Amino acid sequence: MIKITIDEDACVGCELCVDECPTDVFDFNKEKQIPEIVREKECFGCLSCSEICPAAAITHKDIEHSEEYHHNEENLKLVARLAIDVPLPNSPSDDKHIKAALGDLGLRLLSVASIFRQTYGGSLPAIGTMAGRMLAAQLSKHRIPESFQEALEKAAEQFAPAWVINPDYDGNSKLSMKVGTCFIRELCGEEGIELGGDLCVLFYSYMAGYMGKMGNARLKLIESYPGSEECRYDVEVFNKNDG
Amino acid sequence: MIKSRISTEWLSGCSGCHIAMVDLHEKLMNLIDDVEFVRIPLFKDEKGYPEADVGLVEGAVGSEHDRKALLRMRESCRKLVAFGTCAVYGGPSGIGCLYGKDTILNKIYMDTVTASADGKLPEGAPELEQSVIPLNEVVDIDFYIPGCPPHPYFIAIAIKTILGDSVPAISIKTVCSECSRRMEKREGVQLKRGVSTASEEDVCFLSQGVICLGSVTLDRCRAQCPCKGIVCTGCAGPSIDIIAEPHLDIRTMIARRMNMLTGIDRREIIDYMQKEARTFYSYALSSPVIYRKPSVEIKEWAGS
Repeated sequence: MIKITIDEDACVGCELCVDECPTDVFDFNKEKQIPEIVREKECFGCLSCSEICPAAAITHKDIEHSEEYHHNEENLKLVARLAIDVPLPNSPSDDKHIKAALGDLGLRLLSVASIFRQTYGGSLPAIGTMAGRMLAAQLSKHRIPESFQEALEKAAEQFAPAWVINPDYDGNSKLSMKVGTCFIRELCGEEGIELGGDLCVLFYSYMAGYMGKMGNARLKLIESYPGSEECRYDVEVFNKNDG
Repeated sequence: MIKSRISTEWLSGCSGCHIAMVDLHEKLMNLIDDVEFVRIPLFKDEKGYPEADVGLVEGAVGSEHDRKALLRMRESCRKLVAFGTCAVYGGPSGIGCLYGKDTILNKIYMDTVTASADGKLPEGAPELEQSVIPLNEVVDIDFYIPGCPPHPYFIAIAIKTILGDSVPAISIKTVCSECSRRMEKREGVQLKRGVSTASEEDVCFLSQGVICLGSVTLDRCRAQCPCKGIVCTGCAGPSIDIIAEPHLDIRTMIARRMNMLTGIDRREIIDYMQKEARTFYSYALSSPVIYRKPSVEIKEWAGS
């Protein structure tokens, strides 16, 4: 069973944990001005109380962390050295682990993309772009590139080997990207899905969001040419600083 | 008895961390029984870099001189400690990363009424870095002691632990945990802009509609400012949850808590904090901890 501890000295009596808990674990003791753990066995370890607590006074023990792949390792390293006792999520440890995660991700992406399309309609590219920007901002080896050309090269490096991207940039506003090997094309082939669908839209905007964040630019898709061996995207590039 | 040797150096910083060491008062005497300061710019005129067991480095790397001095410190000290917020996160001078070296030099030496008539930059000063960066971007750091400055209580603990060959642990508690103000729910509160507009002395600033960064800042100060009526500006750097979790951020967490306490619209709080990003993010701006956050677009907010 999950064990919750409240540091009573640190607690400021704001009652936010009482409001936030989805399973109503806490009651507020008005006399002592602190929350009491009344229904501890209802806790399922979502950690929303410890997240909202302004004093970081709530700690949990014996929670099973789900596997997480989105943490920035360098930040976790800093935390491991700053606050030694804080339990940290695991990172994928070996190639097999990462491959399993990728395979799982591919199948999930297929279903998620179609759900996005049904519920959000036209904003599918916006979701992809945001995801790409998140990726650019999180990668540990990421350093801000000097030029857009350098950003393209770094992006191509980053997406290999799952995607082989050949960007052709004229240095001004015209960019033509050829995608050779593609993880999505393979997946679509296996599942019998036509190219150029939701997943391709999601992938393109993901890639564009990533490149845009890295190179401080906005990318506008002019035309895409899906193909069984190679896909091509013709893109117009706007510099963000020019408005 | 062989005394442990401590060497300190002071780069792009304000000397506040060294002064905080003097604030140990009589405890400094106890410390001097056990250690020998072989290099300390505050008391001693030692220009070289003698061998030492522990090196404390205050301030961030802002110029060529800083970089060289830091490398010399790394060579001469067995353990190197990033001492204070500037050393750990880059500190307020890290805001320069929004503009770059050339813009700053031009602004200060060329575009002002007091600039020299010949239109040249002054010569002889050490070359500036492109932007001010934390120490661990240049050398390996063994221990971190954040705080601006760290409270003498934490300095004493940290130095003792390091000399005893263990790592100084930092509590995950935030400034709120030490604050004497009462956090309570209010209705009909408006967001107050600017500082020192909270009238009640014993009620949390957030409850009064004033933005205070206490709940997103590590407690390295024992809440001295908020207890004395000054809002927390986040000088000890972001709290552990903000560093570890990509989806949490200074402005979003403040907005969530303030919204739950006062009912002020989250968007309003977030917009205000984005507009004043150079104030609210100032201490850790040049650290990857903040600029790598997916939702943080400091450059865009600052309009540069």
